[in-house]
Amino acid sequence: MLKSTALVILILISLHSQAQHGGYTLSNHPETFRKSFSEATASIESIQSGFSQEKTLTMLSEKMNSTGKFWYKKKDKLRMEYIQPYPYLMILNGGKIFVKDGQKENQFSANSSKIFQQVNRILIDCVSGNMLNNPDFQARIYENAGSFLIEFQPVAKNLKELYKNINIVIDKKEYTATVVEMIEVSGDKTIIRFQNKVLNASIPDSVFNIP
Amino acid sequence: MHPFPIRFLIFLSLFFLNISCNQYRHLKRSPPEENCIEKFKPAFQREEYKISVDVIGKHISGLLLIKYMPDSSTRIVFTNEMGFSFFDFGFPGNNGFEVYHIVPQMNKTALIKTLRKDFELIMFRNRDRNKSYDLADSSIIYHAYPQEKGVNYYITDEPCSRLIKMQRSSNKKPIMEALFYDYTPGQAPDSISIRHLNFKFSISLKKLMPLASQ
Repeated sequence: MLKSTALVILILISLHSQAQHGGYTLSNHPETFRKSFSEATASIESIQSGFSQEKTLTMLSEKMNSTGKFWYKKKDKLRMEYIQPYPYLMILNGGKIFVKDGQKENQFSANSSKIFQQVNRILIDCVSGNMLNNPDFQARIYENAGSFLIEFQPVAKNLKELYKNINIVIDKKEYTATVVEMIEVSGDKTIIRFQNKVLNASIPDSVFNIP
Repeated sequence: MHPFPIRFLIFLSLFFLNISCNQYRHLKRSPPEENCIEKFKPAFQREEYKISVDVIGKHISGLLLIKYMPDSSTRIVFTNEMGFSFFDFGFPGNNGFEVYHIVPQMNKTALIKTLRKDFELIMFRNRDRNKSYDLADSSIIYHAYPQEKGVNYYITDEPCSRLIKMQRSSNKKPIMEALFYDYTPGQAPDSISIRHLNFKFSISLKKLMPLASQ
């Protein structure tokens, strides 16, 4: 009786984890993943890629699409340049954030706002692989044949008010993020897919210059 | 000294202040002209706008989606470029309003009320014909729709062939002005500007063309 109850519970847990992230099961070796992941990301100096972004408004059955280019350089430099639907530039460099929207330029310190500091860290950590060490989130690791999916649930109160969870898909070959999925408390979600990734190309510091 | 002259002077100055402050006083009141404003009402089906908000020295931008829903309500959603939702407002029926979502940082009664009234003006909502009236000068007609507080004005030329601008006002002077640009009546305007006159707060909207993949 006990054995069959345990079996049913195991099946239910397995079904639950599959239902949460279709095609993925909870990893049996999260520590092995953490070790391999941190070794692999230690060797990544820079990432250059294109991206497409899809925002889903669940209650309105609507999708809003954007595309752009992306540059990351160790350890805290990031440039996201939106091309469509209109040009928009964001640079994170050290503790500073620079935004250019048409003719308007804005620069501010990430430290001036805790929420900016946290969101800033999420972005950098998602691509650099440091997200697993971010104390604002609790991680669960899932996997399938070709990739890992890390589900991050916010622990910090102010992030809990904004995000239900953030999922990052890591491909098993390069150990880099291919998809970042941000799910808001309202159920709306934003999926960023990285394409044509180039690892460790030489990117001049001027790409991340904040004027 | 007898207090009368001082009281009289105060009364007189208040009287003239009142006259000079009331910017609609010189206009001549007349019964409303039926069917003038209705033809200028914009039709928002599913429009994506680039939104820029400037408020007391701060600049925020993003995407604003205005969508007419199957239940006849209109939804307005503001997200930043990275997809993060700032607010999701619903405008059901003739004058209903619902906040479906708003980030804690923007969840302030005064801000929500201001945004609600601004959007209601540009969507031509809350127009009770029984309370409406016209104010006219030589060449312009102010089509007035009294609100719970203040009045919404839709300002047209005399023959009612052109919508010049829209105003939200207190009982005496305008507090906000809105304009449509590149606008064919009955469609969604290409650009919209909203400018508050009593504090530094402006919103500009520019319609975006759908992406090829959409």
